[in-house]
Amino acid sequence: MSDQRENREKELDRELRDHLELDAEAKMDRGLGADEARYAAQREFGNTTLVKEVTREMWGWSYLERFLQNVRYGLRLIGRNPGFTAVAILTLALGIGANTAIFSVVNTIFLKPLPFPESERMFLVARTNNQIGGTNISMPIYLAWKEKQGLFDALGMARPGGTTILTGRGDAEQIPAYVLSSEVLSVLRVSPALGRGFQPDEAKVGGPRAILISDGLWRRKFSADPNIIGQTIMLSGTPRIVEGVMAPGFEIPIPVGREAQIWFLAQLPSTSQDPSNFTFCIGRLSHGVTTGQAEAVLTTPIAGLHDLFPKMIAADERVHLTTLRTFTTKRAGTAPLLLLGAAGFVLLIACANVANLFLSRATSRQREIAVRTAMGAKRSQIVWQLLTESLLLGLAGGLAGLLVCYLSFDFVLSLVPANLARFGAIKFDGRVLVFSLFLGVMTGVLSGLAPALQASSVDLQTALKEGKAGSWFGRKRGRLSAALVVSEVGLSLVLLVGAALMLQTLAGLLRTKPGFDSRNLLTFAIELPRSAAFNTKEKAIAFYDNFDAKLSALPGVQQVSYTSVLPLDLQAPDTLLSVEGNNKFDGKTFDAGFRFISPEYFHAFHIPLARGREITAADSADSEPVVLISQTMARRIWGDGDPIGQHIWFGKPMGLASMEPVPRRVIGIMSDVIETSLEQTETNSTMYIPYAQTHGPADEVTFMVRTSQEPSGLTPTVREILRSLAPDVPLRAPKTMDELVADSLDGHRFPTILISVFGAIALLIAAVGVYGVISYSVAQRTHEIGIRVALGASRGKILRMVLSRGLRLAVIGAVIGLIASHWLADLLRDQLYGISPSDPATLIGATIVLLAVAFAACWIPARRATRVDPLVALRYE
Amino acid sequence: MKERYKNRIELLQGTLDFMILQALRWGPQHGYGISTVIRTNSHEAFQVPTGSLYPALHRLERKGWIASSWDTPKDKNREFKFYRLTAAGKKQLATEESKWKQLVTAIGRMMRPAEES
Repeated sequence: MSDQRENREKELDRELRDHLELDAEAKMDRGLGADEARYAAQREFGNTTLVKEVTREMWGWSYLERFLQNVRYGLRLIGRNPGFTAVAILTLALGIGANTAIFSVVNTIFLKPLPFPESERMFLVARTNNQIGGTNISMPIYLAWKEKQGLFDALGMARPGGTTILTGRGDAEQIPAYVLSSEVLSVLRVSPALGRGFQPDEAKVGGPRAILISDGLWRRKFSADPNIIGQTIMLSGTPRIVEGVMAPGFEIPIPVGREAQIWFLAQLPSTSQDPSNFTFCIGRLSHGVTTGQAEAVLTTPIAGLHDLFPKMIAADERVHLTTLRTFTTKRAGTAPLLLLGAAGFVLLIACANVANLFLSRATSRQREIAVRTAMGAKRSQIVWQLLTESLLLGLAGGLAGLLVCYLSFDFVLSLVPANLARFGAIKFDGRVLVFSLFLGVMTGVLSGLAPALQASSVDLQTALKEGKAGSWFGRKRGRLSAALVVSEVGLSLVLLVGAALMLQTLAGLLRTKPGFDSRNLLTFAIELPRSAAFNTKEKAIAFYDNFDAKLSALPGVQQVSYTSVLPLDLQAPDTLLSVEGNNKFDGKTFDAGFRFISPEYFHAFHIPLARGREITAADSADSEPVVLISQTMARRIWGDGDPIGQHIWFGKPMGLASMEPVPRRVIGIMSDVIETSLEQTETNSTMYIPYAQTHGPADEVTFMVRTSQEPSGLTPTVREILRSLAPDVPLRAPKTMDELVADSLDGHRFPTILISVFGAIALLIAAVGVYGVISYSVAQRTHEIGIRVALGASRGKILRMVLSRGLRLAVIGAVIGLIASHWLADLLRDQLYGISPSDPATLIGATIVLLAVAFAACWIPARRATRVDPLVALRYE
Repeated sequence: MKERYKNRIELLQGTLDFMILQALRWGPQHGYGISTVIRTNSHEAFQVPTGSLYPALHRLERKGWIASSWDTPKDKNREFKFYRLTAAGKKQLATEESKWKQLVTAIGRMMRPAEES
């Protein structure tokens, strides 16, 4: 385009030179001297530049050319006001950057389809009457469903498989695993990137045990050896055949246990009596089958199963199909959407601010606009011209926002809690890019349209006559810009209130006394392989005790203990127990968690004994079975009665096969400890059983080591000792208890930190907005102020006058913001703990902060107003 | 008022356009050639200022009435920008011509109303 223009320009140049030359030649033919002829020709020709210019005008403008001219003109103007441009672009960059960052998270969680073919036909098949959350089913149910033909292209089961220990490949390593039926790969329509996949005989009980491994594990542990397929590797002491390597990033789209790197093929029995609900069922619905039909057909076998397992399956249970997309999205909660809303507020504030900038600039350009109108420019042309400028700024803001997003991306990602379901990594993609540029264009239009329309509706007469930046649209402009500032202040207050509520929630949770002392505690997990050295419970416990003793002997170590599960991590299902001699709970499901512990557990955690006695080394496998209970449990079961010496019988309601042989005697009551999360409002019923008397497996325990100093430096020593005792036992997830407590708040930290950042940005932008408007009004009223000073107004009075104008806007904005907060804060209810969305102290506090900032923003121009020299002010006008 | 003013400009513009189209009726010509033709054909009555000639040429070209190309004339050894009539230009010239004749007749009648029979 510009090439074409350049050519034309050259041609014109040559054409005119030719004209001169030909004319001169003709004159020479008539007898003039060469120089004389040239002068004469030039004289007749006239001003070459002028000729060129009028000729050029004939070329005309296509829409594109006119647009490009606007762009050029806009760029020139933008370049001429670097201050204005910088403030506008920075403001937009913050607004757009915040939105883009959050959008990239929301995009991955909510918008992108799951990375599987026809993923909309992939469903989680679940029971609705299930206390654990309506997702898990048991093996008998799955087997019954599998017999129903014609509903699904494939129906598979999958469950998180805990961890397995890989030995014989460098250091022993504990690796997260998943168990799945062979149908799962058909449901997902994936096959291994390398290898042939599971074989039919491997899916049968008694067949070879097959696994798939992740790309990462393959590279890390097997140096990406393509011959791994078909080889046997040792996992927790059992040989397994590697049948495939999955593509990088593969995961089962169920937000539980997604870190798996090994997938075991389940060998399904033809019948099952196992009542435990650990299985997810996912299916690919056949074309032409509705979810309703599938639900109806799958509900029929439930009644029969109820007859078989009356305790585990209710008669009125229903079946419900949820798309896997919905299921994973639901787990993500509303926080990302709330944040997107908050980021939207920031952007609105930024838009209002930039609109205000445009308004004040349009005022100083009123003469230019008036002149152009008088010269015949149409109003639409002027609006387009002004809009082009704001669009350019918007686009620049969009690009800068992309940069802001890019720079802050790692920070935002580090905040996104791991349990937020996100399949496929959160990353910059085309959609994010388009989003930010789209925002740029939108903000350009949004912030430019009103000022452009207003500036172009010039009253020519007055504008040209007055000539100076004056009153011709001062009033109207003033009203619009005041309205913009008021809305900026209002929106900022809403964000501030939200941030304050979230921060108080987080602070409150951090202050929560969990009932144990998390300082100076190192924790780590170990899992024993099923080798001959650890094939009995006794051998395992002897190993732990030996390890425990070695650790206790280390300098600086005060106590060492091990347990089946740490506090804040107790997600044990309901324990069926009966309370002997108490008919109230006899034979009923009582909601109590339990853990196995070594004797030093309470000392290591500093959990005080309320009554009775603690567990000692004397409580062995051979002595009387005992149990300690939490205060809450004591109160719930016995009320005011004395639990000490009473008996609890584990598993008795489930029948002979599942119950312990004898009841346990309650020997003591421990202080309550927060067991599931810091957010819980009620304390738990918890039971403590000595490890020596465990009725369950003991192949995985968590150790904690209380030290006199910060304990994280101890990890290498611990690892060394473990290696010297048993080289094939891996040490997993060493973390201090303080870290675990902090980790448990990840879900809160993510929205809280981001909304606080947004609040701060909003406050900053609004302050700039207030400052700009008040500065402008002071500049406009210099004359008036000069007169007032000349007539004897004191500086204090001038100061008060300016401040009161600014604060009036801020107060109006604050009132509107408070009303809006009242409506919107309810959306935060899910995110808040221990504080009401309409907490008066928070509302008042946020308002005070906002007004203080507004006051500071007015103070500078107000001070400037007091320094107006009446002589200068009057002469200036 | 404004409308009538516009008509007058159009008339003047039309005059120059007509003269250019006329000058090109005898074959392609460069800008200087066109101005010479107009001057000599009008017996030195019209001296077209270059500031009007070139804008007019470019305007007519844009309208599609004339076209341009770089050609080497027989007596020169380099290219000049030559304009020539297009088909649309020839048609335009015909209508302009009849319009002019009508106008001249009308003006003639106004000047010598007595000769009206």
